[in-house]
Amino acid sequence: MADGGPLFELVGIEKRFTGTYALKGIDLAFAPGEVHAIAGENGAGKSTLIKLLTGAHQPSAGGLRWEGRPVAFRGPGDALALGINAVHQEVVACPHLSVAANLYLGDERVRHGFLRKRAMLRAGQHLLDGLGFAIRAEATLGDLTIGQQQLVATARAAHRGVRFLIFDEPTGYLTRQETEQLFRLIRALNADGVTIVYISHRLEEIFELADRVTVLRDGRLVSTRRTAETSERDLIRDMVARPIEELHYKRVVPRGETLLETRSLSGPGFADVSLTVRRGEIVGLYGLIGAGRSEFVTTLFGRHRSTGGEIRWQGAPVAIRREVDAMALGMALVPESRRDQGLCLNLGVGFNLALPSYARLSRFGWVDRGAERALARRQMDRLTIVAAGPGVHAETLSGGNQQKIVVGKWLARGARLFIFDEPTVGVDVGTKSEIYRVFADLLDAGAGIILISSYLPEVYDLSDRLIVFRGGRAVAEHGWKTAEVETILTEAIGA
Amino acid sequence: MPEPLVALDVPPLAPRPRLRFGFLLNLTLLGLLGLMWLGLSLGTDSFATLGNFANLLRQGSIWAIMAVGQTFVIITAGIDLSAGAVVGVAGTVVALLMKSGVPVPLAILATLGFGVAVGWVHAFGIVRLGLPPFIMTLASLTALRGIGLLMTNGQTIAGLPAAFSALARDSTLGIPNLFLAVIAVAVPCHLLLHHSRWGRHLYAVGSNREAARLSGIRVNRVLYLAYILSATLSALAGILTTARIGIGVATTGDGWELQAIASSVIGGASLFGAVGSVPGPLLGAMLLTTINNGANLLNINPFWQRIVTGGLIVAIVYLDQLRRPKR
Repeated sequence: MADGGPLFELVGIEKRFTGTYALKGIDLAFAPGEVHAIAGENGAGKSTLIKLLTGAHQPSAGGLRWEGRPVAFRGPGDALALGINAVHQEVVACPHLSVAANLYLGDERVRHGFLRKRAMLRAGQHLLDGLGFAIRAEATLGDLTIGQQQLVATARAAHRGVRFLIFDEPTGYLTRQETEQLFRLIRALNADGVTIVYISHRLEEIFELADRVTVLRDGRLVSTRRTAETSERDLIRDMVARPIEELHYKRVVPRGETLLETRSLSGPGFADVSLTVRRGEIVGLYGLIGAGRSEFVTTLFGRHRSTGGEIRWQGAPVAIRREVDAMALGMALVPESRRDQGLCLNLGVGFNLALPSYARLSRFGWVDRGAERALARRQMDRLTIVAAGPGVHAETLSGGNQQKIVVGKWLARGARLFIFDEPTVGVDVGTKSEIYRVFADLLDAGAGIILISSYLPEVYDLSDRLIVFRGGRAVAEHGWKTAEVETILTEAIGA
Repeated sequence: MPEPLVALDVPPLAPRPRLRFGFLLNLTLLGLLGLMWLGLSLGTDSFATLGNFANLLRQGSIWAIMAVGQTFVIITAGIDLSAGAVVGVAGTVVALLMKSGVPVPLAILATLGFGVAVGWVHAFGIVRLGLPPFIMTLASLTALRGIGLLMTNGQTIAGLPAAFSALARDSTLGIPNLFLAVIAVAVPCHLLLHHSRWGRHLYAVGSNREAARLSGIRVNRVLYLAYILSATLSALAGILTTARIGIGVATTGDGWELQAIASSVIGGASLFGAVGSVPGPLLGAMLLTTINNGANLLNINPFWQRIVTGGLIVAIVYLDQLRRPKR
């Protein structure tokens, strides 16, 4: 190792994609053995940076230095050979294969050309046990929760004689306990001398883990600071270059009539839940994963049959048997994974916005193209969706703008009650505040919101009323900031 | 406000691996095959004869070999529609070579080499030119048929060496040579698929190509091998068919790609990739052959076989859907 010099260094790095810069003029040195956090909004260039570090992309200009010597990667294999590894945001692994097969993917143990399956299974289980993960090595990866898959991905990177390990938003889908296991693992790896690059939107994680933090904005490096000498406020300012008055922006509007009321509603995974949602208010549902919140709202939305109790809509009892019944009443569910369930990513923004409204936009089966365009324009203006036009594919938009499309399509159909299931998972600070503004606009427009979130500060700051779920039941209800955070957490855990 | 960290004592439990669906499916197919054989033995005088049984095995063997090759491609989430056309052209090539005086073993080797070349072209189109496998191999199907007809001018090549025909017609130790050929193909293929590094990589590419790439797997190389294997096994099937019928006909194997795909899918392979085995397509091919053979013996219009095959595919893929966790 070059004495005292950086382990891995980027010198004057540029990366262009068909003319536009993804990264420009990046000089960054990673010291051996440090935990270096990288922060920035979506589109700031973090993903591109990771791809350059792991050899998945090659720089358009500038170069990389490893232990002081220039290196060029032709592909991920070259970076792996140096001990550079990454744990990606979306779990990048093979769901059909076993955990053990994934742990050894591309690095299989072989004797005389034959796989040493049993040896890999044993060693894999040993590795998982040693890390304290309660995961069976012979299980099929796709059967695990996303969080467990993420832990497997981490274990996989850890066992490969890794020297430089990049974490890209690893905690987005993790439960609190899984997050803790992950942090313990990161600290252990770091103590073994592994240099860590940690990318996260959650600033408190950065302060908990990192020695230094670099902020990227619009493809440029804004600052690199020691975490001990900086604050969340500084980082946010560097990231967005515009003041964010409050992280969790909330607008209080007068409440109107009752939209939805459940009386002792029971269904698969929850029982005896009574709550009301009025126009102009956010009702937050907080609880641990598996507490029954998602089951409650999907039943509300007609995806499952309720087994008892009553649902009332604007004062009158209603039967919701299918999703279309809920939509016809004016309910909209914005699902947790936008990418999978909410949008047709390879189709235009306008198409996505008009999708639920085509019955209204067509006459005798023929679509009124003018009305379709007008609807798209109206929603794009109303929600300030940033896209060159309604024909632009949804996949090219930022996470916040995609979220707005999902909201916009239901607004266009006349929805009045919006159910958001984990709306800000894997979303950066700037986009988050955009989403909160969308909430505020919805409330202004007379809508009501049910907000499901596992991120307590978010539901705590935003909810007019906060309902705590545990074991399939609503165990407590609080007004806006009328209870201590610790109290709510205790209620959710049942300690 | 940082969320306080609270330790939970309950560890998340990973689910136990379930009994493999593929194993159960194979067992079911085997049972179905047994039932059909039993029914046909009782229902007809001619089914349970040595002659018919040998015939059944010979017929099934050729489809089985093609289906195994097809399965490799299907595991990568691809498809090889050219398989039937390769059978025809390979049969023509091997016949023409022998007619022009090339010794039998050399002619066979050269034809297998031709299969390798065809597979290489498929992979080149898919990997380098970025064509969808469906399109690339569909184009190849048409072109290869044309090449076969061009080479023979649409005529049958007869008068092949007796030693060549004996390959397919003879038996060794009472087992038809063609069936031995299946074993010679299936055993190494099974080992390759489940016990070699390349097999792992094949499943990985079919499951998540990006993950495979980021794991340092050479995805392109895996795809080249899969398509070459499929085309080469189809070429082998063409050689064996020509030996069996004793003449080279350019139009041999018309529609067989669908038989091969059907055998593979009935045997449990998923067209979405990453699911498939070697015993599956073998059983699938035997099942389809038995339906064909049985229909002949029972004097049922052979066209029924196509309808039954269609129904079987729908039933089995529906079962496959049922086992997938719903979101």
